Amino acid sequence: MIAKKKPTSRAKPRGGGAAPRPVGRRAQSKEAIRKRIVTAALNLFQTKGFDPTTTKAIARKAGIAEGTVFNYFKSKEDIALHFFEQEVDQAIAAVRGNPRLRKAPLEEKLFTLVHSQLEFLAPHERFIGAAFIHALKPASALGIFSHRAQELRHRYVGFVQELFEESLPKQQHNPLSWVAPEAFWIFYLGALLYWLHDSSPGKQHTLAFLDRSLSIGVSMLKQERR
Amino acid sequence: MTSEKNTPARRALSMASMGADIAGSYIGYLLQRAFLGKEEVKHRLKSTHTRAARRMRDEMQSLRGPAMKIGQTLSLQMGVLPDETLAELAMLQREAPGMHPSLVRVQVKGSLGREPEEIFRDFTAEPFAAASLGQVHHAVTREGQRVAVKIQYPGIRQTIETDFTLFRTVSKPAQASGHVPKAAIDEMEQQILAETDYRREADNIEFFQQQLAPLSFVKVPRVLRQYSSDKVLTMSLMPGRHLDGFLAQRPSQKLRNELGANLFELFYFQVLKVEALHADPHWGNYLFNDDARIGLVDFGCVKYLRPESAAYLRSVFLYPGATDSADFRRLLERHYAQVGEKLSPAARRALIRFADNFYRKVYPPEPEKQQLFDFGDTTFLQDYLRESKNLFRTHGVLTEFIFMARGEMGLYQTLHRLRARVPTSQIVRKYL
Repeated sequence: MIAKKKPTSRAKPRGGGAAPRPVGRRAQSKEAIRKRIVTAALNLFQTKGFDPTTTKAIARKAGIAEGTVFNYFKSKEDIALHFFEQEVDQAIAAVRGNPRLRKAPLEEKLFTLVHSQLEFLAPHERFIGAAFIHALKPASALGIFSHRAQELRHRYVGFVQELFEESLPKQQHNPLSWVAPEAFWIFYLGALLYWLHDSSPGKQHTLAFLDRSLSIGVSMLKQERR
Repeated sequence: MTSEKNTPARRALSMASMGADIAGSYIGYLLQRAFLGKEEVKHRLKSTHTRAARRMRDEMQSLRGPAMKIGQTLSLQMGVLPDETLAELAMLQREAPGMHPSLVRVQVKGSLGREPEEIFRDFTAEPFAAASLGQVHHAVTREGQRVAVKIQYPGIRQTIETDFTLFRTVSKPAQASGHVPKAAIDEMEQQILAETDYRREADNIEFFQQQLAPLSFVKVPRVLRQYSSDKVLTMSLMPGRHLDGFLAQRPSQKLRNELGANLFELFYFQVLKVEALHADPHWGNYLFNDDARIGLVDFGCVKYLRPESAAYLRSVFLYPGATDSADFRRLLERHYAQVGEKLSPAARRALIRFADNFYRKVYPPEPEKQQLFDFGDTTFLQDYLRESKNLFRTHGVLTEFIFMARGEMGLYQTLHRLRARVPTSQIVRKYL
């Protein structure tokens, strides 16, 4: 299942998809409509649930024709994926855009990455829980086998690999090194689950869980590299 | 979505997160330390211990936290550990794992609504001290005041609850045999949990600031409530050096005596006059100054005594008559009855032995004897440890005094390191 990937261009925030490209008025209004659709959809996913929400309802909520929705997104799964792409993009930007993190240890960068993902998801917690279950269905467009979801995962894993490579010594060969970024993706899903079930005030347990598991994980990697 | 609440998948998921909860306890912390291989624990202990005792000590030191406190109490009762180790253990701090700047920022923002850099004119990302359950950072307020900001490690309260749940389970046999009284566990848990609320600590600081005002040589920080919450505590910065730094400067015997007397007076002023005690004897909680003033920090562990307990202490301290007299015996029995406990003959004998072999030596009751007690001498510490172990073995220690005993041990340990000569009885007499 795990294919070894080449990390593309080193450093530099890739995509940065959260930030709109500087373009003309037409493109701007297109972007505004896209945003309206996503906001309406997320609102419905959160209040009504993911399964019962139809594209028709999304269109009505956004104040546009249902046909217009399809000009932007193929399906509601597509909207959800767009949202998850934004999640990943802004988390990468949070790590790369923070000058204080430039010399920070690996575990701190990873902590910031995951924490900004969770912070981004926080207003939509109920929907995330449903999406998680949904993604486990083999035929789901959100699922791990869908092409677009795979692409997103590759982007995420590629970024994690970049972080590993810039923070860990390169010389020695380490049997863990090539699976580590993939393993991190699985760790992230675990952290997401933990977070979903965390009822402590301010999700304090998730913070402690992230902090401790990341220091254990990173120190294991470093030991292997020695 | 609500229909998905109780599916087997959900249940499995919450069970998985429960497992992670346990991993998030101090056991997880221990594991982490093992991986990190940090060797920050100092070993200045005698090398004559048995292997098992040494292992137990190392494990307890690496555990720290509540588990350590439990271990400490246990070892007092069972005599598992050599005396020197025991004395050292009393001083160890309940240290939380260190937080990197990003976690600190998240923790402050989650608690005060803004990041530390937005709140303060200047905030030092690196901590300057470890504190109970968290760490302390230097900062400067917008008004230009230099402050210390104590920040709590996330989820610490639940960690403690998990530890105690585990401990209650594994100690069932010891509870049944009376070696670990349930009341003692309750007392410990209550005290340690109270330490996780920094708002309560802020109350404690304000209480002591008021109460300790008559002692001109004691300085208590001022709380800045607008920058404080249950997980963040901002206080004015205290001057002074920790004991190690202070001793490294080779202070004169005169200064050490003066400081020793001040520390000693501070302790008995609290117990006998204020009837509440700053009960965490860790050295990091005292700051020493060259003008013999003492700065107090960290008011997490404060023990408030019952008025009748303080009255009892005033009546037995420097008791002028014979310790085997009927009157002294009545004093002891009356107090045990007051708090609803029975004083067994064995416990009574142990108390009398304690008074004869320790208190009478260190605190001579005769008013004409105005001599200085030399805390540099090691035998008094051994006497104290031997007698308190003996007393603990009779199960005769009132739970209320567990924390006081800890504070007292810390006091002696500090006085011993200062090699101070102190007019003990003269000071105590002031507050009887």
